[in-house]
Amino acid sequence: MSELTLQDVRKSYGEAKVIHGIDLQIQNGEFCVFVGPSGCGKSTLLRMIAGLESITGGDVVIGGEQVNDIAPADRGIAMVFQSYALYPHKDVYGNMAFALRHAGEDKAVIDERVRKAADILGLEALLKRRPKELSGGQRQRVAIGRAIVRDPEIFLFDEPLSNLDAALRVQMRVELLRLHQRLKTTMIYVTHDQVEAMTLADRIVVLRDGRIEQVGTPLELYHHPENRFVAGFIGSPKMNFLSAERSGDGTTVTTHGSAPIEVPVQPRDTPGAVTLGIRPEHVGLVAPGAGDLDARILVAERLGGETFLHFDLGDDDAFIVKADGGATHESGETVGLTFPPDALHLFDAEGVSFAPRQRHALIG
Amino acid sequence: MTETASSSRTHPRRARGLSTRVAVHGVLAGYTLIAIFPVLLVILNSFKNRRGIFTDPLGLPGEGTFSLEGYATVLTEGDFATYFSNSLIVTVSALFLILLLGAMAAHALAEYRFRFNTLLGIYLILGIMVPIRLGTVAILELMVDLNLVNTLLALILVYTAQGLPVAVFILTEFMRTLSRDIKDCARVDGLSEYRIFFEVVVPLIRPVLATVAVFSMIPIWNDLWFPLILASGDATKTVTLGVQQFIGQYTVNWSAVLAALSIAILPVLGLYALFSRQLIAGITSGAVKG
Repeated sequence: MSELTLQDVRKSYGEAKVIHGIDLQIQNGEFCVFVGPSGCGKSTLLRMIAGLESITGGDVVIGGEQVNDIAPADRGIAMVFQSYALYPHKDVYGNMAFALRHAGEDKAVIDERVRKAADILGLEALLKRRPKELSGGQRQRVAIGRAIVRDPEIFLFDEPLSNLDAALRVQMRVELLRLHQRLKTTMIYVTHDQVEAMTLADRIVVLRDGRIEQVGTPLELYHHPENRFVAGFIGSPKMNFLSAERSGDGTTVTTHGSAPIEVPVQPRDTPGAVTLGIRPEHVGLVAPGAGDLDARILVAERLGGETFLHFDLGDDDAFIVKADGGATHESGETVGLTFPPDALHLFDAEGVSFAPRQRHALIG
Repeated sequence: MTETASSSRTHPRRARGLSTRVAVHGVLAGYTLIAIFPVLLVILNSFKNRRGIFTDPLGLPGEGTFSLEGYATVLTEGDFATYFSNSLIVTVSALFLILLLGAMAAHALAEYRFRFNTLLGIYLILGIMVPIRLGTVAILELMVDLNLVNTLLALILVYTAQGLPVAVFILTEFMRTLSRDIKDCARVDGLSEYRIFFEVVVPLIRPVLATVAVFSMIPIWNDLWFPLILASGDATKTVTLGVQQFIGQYTVNWSAVLAALSIAILPVLGLYALFSRQLIAGITSGAVKG
């Protein structure tokens, strides 16, 4: 049993409230990712679960036991830190064995567990090295090994890949996934990188300013964001937002002088303006005059496999269209943009999205 | 020669490097000479007799001037073995206390959040600006009340107080740069706060501890003031005080004074050698990416 339950968990430093009452349940064996912009409280929340930050209000429950006042070492957790936090004066073996030695574990047991972890992570040849003789990726593996050795019920990862270079990050991401498949232990992972969140998570928790914005599977968040923040945070490049006017029964909108567009969402009465959202990869390109809108290309960024076309439609952010790598469009050219209704999102003045009439086929 | 010429042709930078290196080493050699000269003079003259010292203070000990009478006096008259062990006991004990208490205070100031943290830090560091000798009279009264006059403990306590402010200051600044993650990691590993300090923090700050040790050691070893006031009894004399017996009102036994000073350099050198490897690491730490 290693379910984790957070009940109305709060944190404040004096007057400053950092975490405003988080309710969350994480299932046994789940890979759960906390994601959000810096300063959203995701690391603080993780450190509260670990027991490294005191809890101002609410309960943290691990495996049915309230652990608010239990020391980190007795919570059945192991944590991997962003800076690896290896003990520089101990070799790899010493680093991995440290917690067990301290717990007074039998020498043979320690040796067996360390060697097993080293085997899982491919560290056998490095056991006698000091941390400073290791590369970044190897250090991170040792840090993970140190966590594995303790055989925890829950793994906590605090941005473990952000100190690695891009290529290594991709490689370690895959290794982490394989590790999770192999150990089937509950893992909680904090990152600000939505790509890491999308690729690793069974379930993503999007946080902003100490509040949960949405909890869901990666595809749920991608296809059915509950609000504008989640819509903009998940996906790269981020979703385009267009100011729009409602007409008719409330789900038909016009934007920037387009013909009325029927958005397949459930009608709802809200005051104020609405915003239309569409992801760069869903916008269609047609000849001028044939689409919903005509616009002039400001810049065409060619990445080889794909091309990003930037437009200025008069909204706060640039409007970006992700086109095929072989697209022949040039800067300065005017093209027609089409908005497939199924890919459209509608948000009210508060940023809350209108519920879709139909859930996406991939989501149960 | 040919090798240098050819390599300087192929690598013009290296030639400039050579002249720079000569200049740098020239400056360093000059500085070393100036720093070592007085020490050398003391050692040279300690091997001369009185006439030799006065007629030719800069000359090497030679025929007619070479003499070990200074060393003979030091080793036979007066109880220099006791003085040495007194000096060593006082210096090493005070150093140990300075490092232990200083590091613990610095750890607390750098690691824990509590009310008046900054205020307490300033209070502990304030001692840097107030010379401890200003409080001599009060210290003496205190030691009399505590019955500690003419004990080595009196000196150890005073030197610990004298060394702590700088130690706390340097160590706090350094400890603030230690990664928080590594201490948190130790917490998750189940170490108590004391064991985190001794098993994780202390190994990490060893170079800085050595630096603080060297800086604190010299003034304690060389001090004359407090031994004179607090522990001038024959059993508690330190080396610097013991040397004074050769400095009379009318005559000074220079051979003996210089011989005693020459011997007094040795223990400090020994301690320095002990710390120096760490010291160099301390001075250069942070200078290069680890």
